[in-house]
Amino acid sequence: MTTAIGTGMLTKDYGAGRGIFDLDLEVAEGEVFGYLGPNGAGKTTTIKLLMGLSHATRGRATVFGLDADRDAVAVKKRVGYVPGELPQFGGWRGSEIVAYIAGLRGDIADADVEAIAKRLDLDLGRRYREYSHGNKQKLALLLAFAPRPALLILDEPTSGLDPLHQQEFYGLVRDARTGGATVFISSHVLSEVEHLCDRVGIVREGHLATVGTIDELAGIRAHHVRIEFADAPPTERLRALRGFEGLAIDGRGVSGLYRGSFDELLAAIAGARVATLESREPTLEEIFLSYYSK
Amino acid sequence: MILFRLALRSHRTGAIATAAIGAFAGLLNAVAYVSIAGPTPADRAAFAHSMEVIGQQLSYLLPRPVQLDTMGGYLTWRDLSTVAIAYAVWALLAATGAGRGDEEKGLSEAWLATGVARARYLLVRMAAFAVAALASLGVTLLATELGTVVAKDTVPVAAMAAELLPLAGVTLWAFAAGLVVAQLVTTRRVASVAAGIVIVALYTLNSSLRAGADPAELGRVKWLSPFYLFDRSAPLLAGGSVDGLASALSLGGAVVLSGLSVWAFARRDIGGALVAGRPGSARPRHVPAADPALRLPVLAGIAQQRGWIAGWAIAMAALAYFLSSLARSIVDGFKDIPAMQVYLARAGIAGYTDVVGVIWFSTALLLIAIFVVAQVNGWAADDAEGRLEMALAAGAARPRIVVERLAALIVAAGIVAAVSSLGVYLAANAFDIPVAGDRLALATVLVLPVVFALGAIGHLLVGWRPRLAVVLVTTVAVISYFTQEFAPLFDWPEWVGRTSLFVLYGAPMTNVDWGGAATLVVIGIVGTLVAIAALEQRDIGR
Repeated sequence: MTTAIGTGMLTKDYGAGRGIFDLDLEVAEGEVFGYLGPNGAGKTTTIKLLMGLSHATRGRATVFGLDADRDAVAVKKRVGYVPGELPQFGGWRGSEIVAYIAGLRGDIADADVEAIAKRLDLDLGRRYREYSHGNKQKLALLLAFAPRPALLILDEPTSGLDPLHQQEFYGLVRDARTGGATVFISSHVLSEVEHLCDRVGIVREGHLATVGTIDELAGIRAHHVRIEFADAPPTERLRALRGFEGLAIDGRGVSGLYRGSFDELLAAIAGARVATLESREPTLEEIFLSYYSK
Repeated sequence: MILFRLALRSHRTGAIATAAIGAFAGLLNAVAYVSIAGPTPADRAAFAHSMEVIGQQLSYLLPRPVQLDTMGGYLTWRDLSTVAIAYAVWALLAATGAGRGDEEKGLSEAWLATGVARARYLLVRMAAFAVAALASLGVTLLATELGTVVAKDTVPVAAMAAELLPLAGVTLWAFAAGLVVAQLVTTRRVASVAAGIVIVALYTLNSSLRAGADPAELGRVKWLSPFYLFDRSAPLLAGGSVDGLASALSLGGAVVLSGLSVWAFARRDIGGALVAGRPGSARPRHVPAADPALRLPVLAGIAQQRGWIAGWAIAMAALAYFLSSLARSIVDGFKDIPAMQVYLARAGIAGYTDVVGVIWFSTALLLIAIFVVAQVNGWAADDAEGRLEMALAAGAARPRIVVERLAALIVAAGIVAAVSSLGVYLAANAFDIPVAGDRLALATVLVLPVVFALGAIGHLLVGWRPRLAVVLVTTVAVISYFTQEFAPLFDWPEWVGRTSLFVLYGAPMTNVDWGGAATLVVIGIVGTLVAIAALEQRDIGR
């Protein structure tokens, strides 16, 4: 498996605990990787480091084996990028912006532009300042996908897109992946990450909290448990149980996100009369929230 | 109160910069007057007589010269009329920023969303500007008064303080006019250009009256010009005073225009113009623009601002024609003033050709420096508004960005300089001033090292501190201009003059300073290298 993105102890310290710290991450070629975290967690900082737009305080990042900082130009020739904050092109027409970026890149075919513009229903004849937020986002997507890059780095790519065009975006990602591209998506839209990504990394307060496949995260890390007791629940024993997060006791009902061993849970309720016991894998959203409730 | 404080803060840089320019100009003009007019009443009478002859020729630019044998008369003619223009320009830019620029950034929407009424929002912005403008004008007048004290030819403090009223009138009028125009268009850039056209038109209206246009023809509209109203007051003259009616009309005009802008702001859509255009019915386009220039290095930068470059070129050519046409009058008028003969000799002016070389090219350098400052402002905005990030993400190397921007700047400035020199050439032919075409071409080409040096300094400042870059590069340009103007007048040591980029340019119509040109190129090269290093070091988008 070839590595598309690799980081080692990558750190950008803005002071006061802001930035990204000691990031060790590998994204394989051909993979669709979701990078999850709330605002200010360090997602955009990581992306700016990968794009060579910011310089690391320490550590290093590589893209296809190239140093993301030292070889930034060579890296970016292989990357399509959607920034988290859209640029302002004022009175330029969409078609002029595309021509300008195409001139800088040198690898954008008019046919690809036309195909993506039609697919996203984007009129390039209008001025940028007349575009809605969604249309500006579509233009950013067009500029990222049109060169058919080996790696797509997308920072909050569906921001402002309506559900119809979100589906088109998913289609673009699937097509890029089919064509062999690697995709790195930063997002806090969990459903989209769950929908698209092979693996997910969750970043919290500048630190990578966990990385795994959707299945791994859902199956191994925690279960949503609800138990209805026929009599009074063994409250003390349940409270003493390690790994029962958000334990809620409502009359004879007990619920919460359980991260521990089921043997220990069953031992804790041994002797009590259980009416029903439900255990289901949490959604990615619940996992995500559990990381942030720590 | 928070809105007021933030609005005041938004005018801080402009107020300080304009005060610095006004104070510097006032101080130097006051000190310079004693040097050029001479110490005795006879010297001053001769100076006044000759300057009044020349002043008639310059009435398109300056008020009619009166009492030039006094400090008050000279400051009224040479300094305060220019200060009024500087404040009007700042007011106009501040108004389009407050009325449209903040809206483009989403700030107006954010404030209105908090429940602030539109009328209150705009009125608070106006009040904040008024406070900033009065403080800035106060500093300018204080420094000018200080200059008269230094020159030992003091004008009454009360008279200087009285200048505040007409200057405030023209400044607030221009701000209110800028706010009205900002309601009619959808971008700050267009608002600035449109408001600029309005201000220039009203200035030209007043200039035409000064130059002798039939007052009957213009009598009905002349009261619309804040510059005409400003000229009515001359408290620094012996027996002069503030024209109460003119000042009231000026301030009243500002109030009426402010009311009009509030009315328009309340009626239009946020982000839209007061009168919306009809929606287009063109078929959607899905292919990139066909313009090949957009895809080529350097030319892409030129193509993006072709209208802007053309505007500069045409305006400067017109001014070049006008100033060159005055060459004979200026030389013939100055040669009778002993102090001016010394000044002309120090400045290297011996004949009509030299006037073109010295007076036009010093003005041209100042204007082209303003052009460079505008470009530096654009580079800083590229960073703040994400365009630089997009260019870098498209694979452009940082050194390429610096080199390409400077190359585009030099090409654009070259176009502007060449077209303006064409204006000089046409005027020389029309008014029988001997100007050699090859010398004119050489003097034009030698403007480019100045552009290169100033542009490189500007870019290294953008790479170092983008938010301060415009202020700092403007300071470099202003100091260069004043040093060029006053070094010969005060007989400053040569090394002081050599700190000015404009002095390094010299007077190539008469004598080419190849050492100065080489120094400018070296400054440009070193500045470019430092600018590249500064941009390489920076984190983009923070």
